[in-house]
Amino acid sequence: MKKVILLALAALSPPVFAEPAAHIDVSNLPSQSKMIDAVVVPVPSEIFAVLDKLGPRPNWSAVQHKMTSVAQPIGEQPQIALMLGTVIAEGFIAVEAEDANEVKQIGKSVLNLAKALGVEKKAQVRAKAITDAADAKDWTAVRKQLDKALEDVREAMVELNSEALSQLVSLGGWLRGTEALTAVVEKHYTKESAELLHQPILLDYFEKRLANMKPKLKLNPVVIKVQKGVLEIRPLMGLPDSGDISEKSVKEINDVTSDLIKAINAKAQH
Amino acid sequence: MKRFAPFLIALLCLSLGAGPARATIDDALSFALEAADPYVKEGFTVREDYWGGDLGVKQTKAIVHQLFKGNTYWFWMGTDAKTAKISVHIYDSEGNLAEVEAWQKPHFAAARVEPKKTGTYYLIVEVEKSPAERTSWSLAYGFR
Repeated sequence: MKKVILLALAALSPPVFAEPAAHIDVSNLPSQSKMIDAVVVPVPSEIFAVLDKLGPRPNWSAVQHKMTSVAQPIGEQPQIALMLGTVIAEGFIAVEAEDANEVKQIGKSVLNLAKALGVEKKAQVRAKAITDAADAKDWTAVRKQLDKALEDVREAMVELNSEALSQLVSLGGWLRGTEALTAVVEKHYTKESAELLHQPILLDYFEKRLANMKPKLKLNPVVIKVQKGVLEIRPLMGLPDSGDISEKSVKEINDVTSDLIKAINAKAQH
Repeated sequence: MKRFAPFLIALLCLSLGAGPARATIDDALSFALEAADPYVKEGFTVREDYWGGDLGVKQTKAIVHQLFKGNTYWFWMGTDAKTAKISVHIYDSEGNLAEVEAWQKPHFAAARVEPKKTGTYYLIVEVEKSPAERTSWSLAYGFR
């Protein structure tokens, strides 16, 4: 009986869990602690959210690249994948600017570019959801649908054995997000806001993915430019944790990413 | 994470078949998202991307992840194995425990961090106890 009571008490007691180690050696993780070779790329809104908290709300309209019409696919698939990423990132900027018309244009553009990549089926649902949320000016829902759109098209590409293209979608989005971020930081530079550019693992991730792409993709003129640009900004954004990112570096990153975005959206590539 | 899934699927196709493992990771994700649900009501945005896999008892995995100072992050881990005890902890780039709060419950574990610096962080996931040889897990995150 005593045993039964003790067991019952044990079942009712709050569970006792092992305290986590206060420190681990990250340079020498235990052998069973294999690192997962997969990096989650932040969506622009994750970074923009910090800027909104840091000081006066940035003028997001000023950093928008407004679309005059629905985006049309340009060049070969790697370029279209990069374009799709930039368009989705533009959607996040339009949400910050609370620009419903632009968001709707972006929804249609996502669908158009996804069609050119053979992944329009999943994009159709998202494009409609983006448009509906923009009509309702439900910005939280638009952000959610843009993130879902990014994930859906990438997943569809993986299903089509186009994982490399899905990484180019992520990279395109990251480049446009970084261009917008540097434009805002440059306008009212503070060490705190520039710290948001400290992203060494993302640079490492993109660098590795680009280096390991099949020659067919790697030799695409736009991909060549993007790879060169990523290598250029790597030392500026990958400083040790204690290093400040200077105003000059912010401008340089902005120059490089702006050139890359122009190259991604340009018709003739040399 | 979904980009991680193709590797798992490829491995599985070579051995047992694709369905079950993916299904259990998806089930684990459902639990992770269930854990996230109350925080969504508090204004947290849950990312669509996630990590996942399976682990043996006392095995850990390290995930390197970019965090931004100024945001608050919650990481929610789920498993479909009810009696398994799982954990997630967050360390900064120097290996110091960085979380401000963490909890464990059947099917779930979670940790919250308010990064002191923008940069690289390590997420350490572990299956502390489980009746199964391998336990499926999934990790989602959200920010505010």
